Amino acid sequence: MLQTLKTTLLKVIDLTALGFLEPYVRLAYGEEPTKQLRKIGQFTVVPVLVIIAGLLVWATMISPNVKTKSGELPSPTVVASAAGSLHQFAIREGNKEAAYVATGEEREAWLADVEAELESIGAEVESANATVVEARKAEAASKSERIAPLQAKVDALKTAMKEERAAKQAALKEQAASLPVGDNPQRAAYLGELAGLNAWLDEQKAEIDTIDDQIKLIRDEKDPAVLAALSQQTAVAEREQYLKKMAEQLGEDNRQARVATGQEKLDVAKTTFFNAEGAAAFNAAKKVISAEERLAKTEESSYAKPATLYYQIQRSILCVFAGFFLGSAIAIPIGVLCGLSTTFMGAMTPFIALFKPVSPIVWLPIALIVASALIPDPDKHWFTQWMWELPLIGQYKINPAFMASAVTVALCSLWATMVNTALGVASVDKDHLNVAKVLRLGFWSRLFKIVLPSSLPLVFAGLRISLGVGWMVLIAAELLSSSEGIGKFVWDQFNNGASDSFAKMMVVVFIVGAIGLLLDRIMVVFQRLVSFEGSIAAV
Amino acid sequence: MGFLELNHVSKGYGPPSNRYEVLKDVDLSIEENEFVAVIGFSGSGKSTLVSLLAGLEQPDAGEVRMKGNVVTDPGPDRGIMFQNYSLLPWLSVYQNIEIAVKQVFPEMGKAERKTYIQGYIDMVSLTNSEWKLPAELSGGMRQRLSLARTLSMKPEVLILDEPLSALDALTRAVLQDEIIRIWEEDKRTVVMITNDVDEAALMADRIVPLTPGPAATLERSFAVTLDRPRDRTTLNFNPDFKKLRNTVSTFMMDLNEEAKSLRVETTYRLPDLEPLDLTKVG
Amino acid sequence: MLTELLERFVTAPRPRRVLPGVAAAFLVSAGTASALGPAEVPAVDSGETEMLDLEKDELKFGFIKLTDCAPIVIAKEKGFFDDEGLSVEVIAQPNWKTLLDNVISGELDGAHMLSGQPIAATIGFGTKAHIITAFTMDLNGNGITVSNAIWEQMQENDPALDTDQPSHPISAAALKPIVEERIADGEKLQMGMVFPVSTHNYEIRYWLAAAGIHPGMYTETDIGGRTDAQVELSVTPPPMMPATLEAGNIQGYCVGEPWNQQAVAKGIGVPVTTNYDVWKNNPEKVFGVTKAWADENPQTMLAVTKALIRAGRWLDETDDAGYLVNREEAARILSRPDYVGADYDVIKNSMTGYFYFQRTDKRAMPDFNVFYKYFCTYPWYSDGVWFLTQMRRWGQITEPKPAEWYHATAKEVYKPDIYLAAARMLVEEGFILEEEIPWDTDGYKPATDEFIDGKTYDGKDPLGYLASFQIGNPE
Repeated sequence: MLQTLKTTLLKVIDLTALGFLEPYVRLAYGEEPTKQLRKIGQFTVVPVLVIIAGLLVWATMISPNVKTKSGELPSPTVVASAAGSLHQFAIREGNKEAAYVATGEEREAWLADVEAELESIGAEVESANATVVEARKAEAASKSERIAPLQAKVDALKTAMKEERAAKQAALKEQAASLPVGDNPQRAAYLGELAGLNAWLDEQKAEIDTIDDQIKLIRDEKDPAVLAALSQQTAVAEREQYLKKMAEQLGEDNRQARVATGQEKLDVAKTTFFNAEGAAAFNAAKKVISAEERLAKTEESSYAKPATLYYQIQRSILCVFAGFFLGSAIAIPIGVLCGLSTTFMGAMTPFIALFKPVSPIVWLPIALIVASALIPDPDKHWFTQWMWELPLIGQYKINPAFMASAVTVALCSLWATMVNTALGVASVDKDHLNVAKVLRLGFWSRLFKIVLPSSLPLVFAGLRISLGVGWMVLIAAELLSSSEGIGKFVWDQFNNGASDSFAKMMVVVFIVGAIGLLLDRIMVVFQRLVSFEGSIAAV
Repeated sequence: MGFLELNHVSKGYGPPSNRYEVLKDVDLSIEENEFVAVIGFSGSGKSTLVSLLAGLEQPDAGEVRMKGNVVTDPGPDRGIMFQNYSLLPWLSVYQNIEIAVKQVFPEMGKAERKTYIQGYIDMVSLTNSEWKLPAELSGGMRQRLSLARTLSMKPEVLILDEPLSALDALTRAVLQDEIIRIWEEDKRTVVMITNDVDEAALMADRIVPLTPGPAATLERSFAVTLDRPRDRTTLNFNPDFKKLRNTVSTFMMDLNEEAKSLRVETTYRLPDLEPLDLTKVG
Repeated sequence: MLTELLERFVTAPRPRRVLPGVAAAFLVSAGTASALGPAEVPAVDSGETEMLDLEKDELKFGFIKLTDCAPIVIAKEKGFFDDEGLSVEVIAQPNWKTLLDNVISGELDGAHMLSGQPIAATIGFGTKAHIITAFTMDLNGNGITVSNAIWEQMQENDPALDTDQPSHPISAAALKPIVEERIADGEKLQMGMVFPVSTHNYEIRYWLAAAGIHPGMYTETDIGGRTDAQVELSVTPPPMMPATLEAGNIQGYCVGEPWNQQAVAKGIGVPVTTNYDVWKNNPEKVFGVTKAWADENPQTMLAVTKALIRAGRWLDETDDAGYLVNREEAARILSRPDYVGADYDVIKNSMTGYFYFQRTDKRAMPDFNVFYKYFCTYPWYSDGVWFLTQMRRWGQITEPKPAEWYHATAKEVYKPDIYLAAARMLVEEGFILEEEIPWDTDGYKPATDEFIDGKTYDGKDPLGYLASFQIGNPE
């Protein structure tokens, strides 16, 4: 039993190409402990140490030294806290959504909690504000203390320079009056003097500039106390804002509350209608109907939640798979035909060669125009309507921008699959084809029973490359098409230009990398599943 | 007229300017249920002969006939067991046989097919390995599977292309016995290609040596008159067997000498020599 | 349907229901109302919204990450859309072109737009589509920033600028010698603006031309607008402006907030002037929808306009001392990453009425962003005509047009009837005051000469205005 478990575990590890786990399993079964420990050292400890070293280099050497006027490279801790704030944003928006539809006792209890917190936060806000003001004052005081002598120096230099310049210029002007006419040494000397004055002025200016630069540097310095106070203030203020909104969502803006108001209005309208006579009855009846409709809409309403990073990640993954499947659906049949027929291959080669190097940035606008033309009004078009009603993917609101991004992903990623499929089909083992001949398999049986299974490992190697390319392309496509997703998140952050925007973009670097890695591993598993002895080795 | 016939068959490759004649003017007639062993050195065109018999390739000149009809394409009536097994590596033992059975006997019912396939698996002693992939089988097991797949098609002629050459001596002996056993149980025409005189003498009714290439051909045949069943342990002491083995071996060695001298001559290609003469000598 | 509604709310005399709070406020603020609208906006007791028969209650509005998207964001966050029964998603757009395309394609129901966008789309400059607006979102709010190097050269040319707080307005006169020097060297100064039909383009052109610097003409073949240019203008997305300036690709730009304050905060440039100095209280952004959408959803259009008017009012609400009470909260909301997302500190400056021209030069600019006062939210025909004159001046409109064409085009785009119907309902409901809306106007603001070059603009005489310029098409 235990032995089977071990074999299974080792098989899974092999299948998923997670070789570094193997020594742990073997060690757990007491198999050659020294050898396993050496392997653990080699494949786990060393990489971990390298990662730690990388983080240390990043934290101590790179991020403190990479500072431009546009921003600075965030340190690992800043990135971690940015990840925290992104998570917090998602949690808060989730709470707001839940609060809107909360009902009954749960709602009341929640509201009470929120209100209590809201009450206690007032003091916090004030103290945070006070801290900021004080920190600012302290900063300003210390800066002006440091700047004052420098400024005095600059002022003194400037005045001195101006006076001297005025004096010398006056002297030169006077001298000019007494210059004899004609080309003579005196005139030459005069020119020299004027040039000397200019040179002296430049020197003085340079000196002033140096001190000015020092002053600027001091002004640009960011006081850690102020920064800390500001971030504290922001955190508290954001919390207050969140609580206020929560109080509204749980209180007057809550769906239950709205439904109650709607019901009241309906009752009033009904009473009016029951008592109305003549032409008034018609208008009153109309009001009853509209109140009923409104109530029904209110009952189904939900909080218009902004996109959170989690939602964007999910949508991106959906989009990359949509594009990937679309691309594969095009690439595999064409690849098979190319592999089967050299004529077809010859016919396709110019197209492949022409379109393969085209960048996603070129495909996207074209795809966007086509998608928008196909679906002129996404709110009413049957296709989008149908998509939005679907379970699971309905919530991702597939729209033309999404489709354009997916098509772009498809167009950029299908080439690897197509070329690999063609290669796989063209290079089926001759012996296998002989088997087909001896068995007199028809075209379709030969295709599905011999050719395709035999070329699958190469096809999947192509699919794996395609998915990797697609994932990279998707980020760019979303960024351009403003299709809700990771790409749009990056663009929005870039647009925000806030002090933590770079840190948030760094968070995305890791998320994109991790998802890319995961997608690759999934494809490796598939590739290994379809591989057989003698097929192109999977990596 | 033989059951399976090769009439003046020639086969070569390459463009006319640089043609390589593999087989030249090959004649062979095989009777129904006869076990013929074609023996030859490596590179003498044995595999080409197999391809022609199976119909995978067409001769340049002459014809291959089976039951009087010219062979134009491969078919399950000539079951071929390839030198390198030709198993489909993505299919299990069972599925490898199934694909053949389904194709050859499409009218067979599901349950019947299952028993039928199982029968062949049992016949080649692969019971309990039904769901293993070829990669998980040893060389002998793979060869047995290949044999089972070929037999399951119920071919009228069984063409064995060096079926045992890749195996170690022990496995080889076991499989030789097995093939003979199966053949005796269920008689049919067999053409076996081999490079082992002992193996040919042990198994076949007739041994046909193939002269070394290029332009290989069949010169004469040696009938094996040993009684069946032949027991390999006692056979070594059988004088007939010894004599046969010596005759065939000597014949083969001579052929090889000739071929060697031929090769030396052709390598130098002196302008005085007339290639036609030399071929006639060969 | 729409006309029926309009009749109901605009023409039909109805008894006025004045809430006690409103009445009190009326007395306080009555004195400050003028031909240009009230300069102060007192708080009102909230009323109760009367629900309209909405054709569509789940809406998507687009915006660009600029502080002047505030009315849309506030209407959502403060629940003004909710009060109308609307569930609104507010989605950031990557650039003005995509925003407009998304509105036209129906992906968005409406959006925060540059004033020039609905006009240009309607007359077919760029993408053609009939876009209308019933709501002007704000006045002012832009600045012109030059790089540190240019600023130093300007200071050399005009020593009066070489102080910590030079006197404003700063004209481009000090820039002219630099431009000429560059041209003599075979180079042209490069400056950035955000979109060919943006207010920024017209403002920076106006500022340059007022000092005799030719910013280039658009022609049928030159859609980049650089023919005869002494300073070449190019389109750069707002968030890219500081980086592009720092990289030296451009030497100056005209852009909305917070991108001028960013330049100061990062020390890479100096805002020399705001558009308040170029044209005092100039219209900036509008809320645009397609005409087809408005025709299909007249009630929804009214409801949206109501919510936006309330949002504008909330943004400009002041206490007795004239302090903008809600701006800090607005800045806090706008600094959320899904809205403008810039640091609170940076947004706060301009939103609360301050502007840093240099580190050392912080000035109070209470009217830097105007969202409601001075009848700001009313869709003035005269605003539309001004943009048309600028499009003609710089050759974006290639043919001379008769004066009637200017008026007719402005009327195709600006829809005060919808605005007035919405405002009437809000007065009835007690959310706004009677005198905050210019009920009796013909849609043309009085003539004004509050431009940097002192020219007089009268919306009723576009051709006369065009003829008054030395640079640009005179007719």
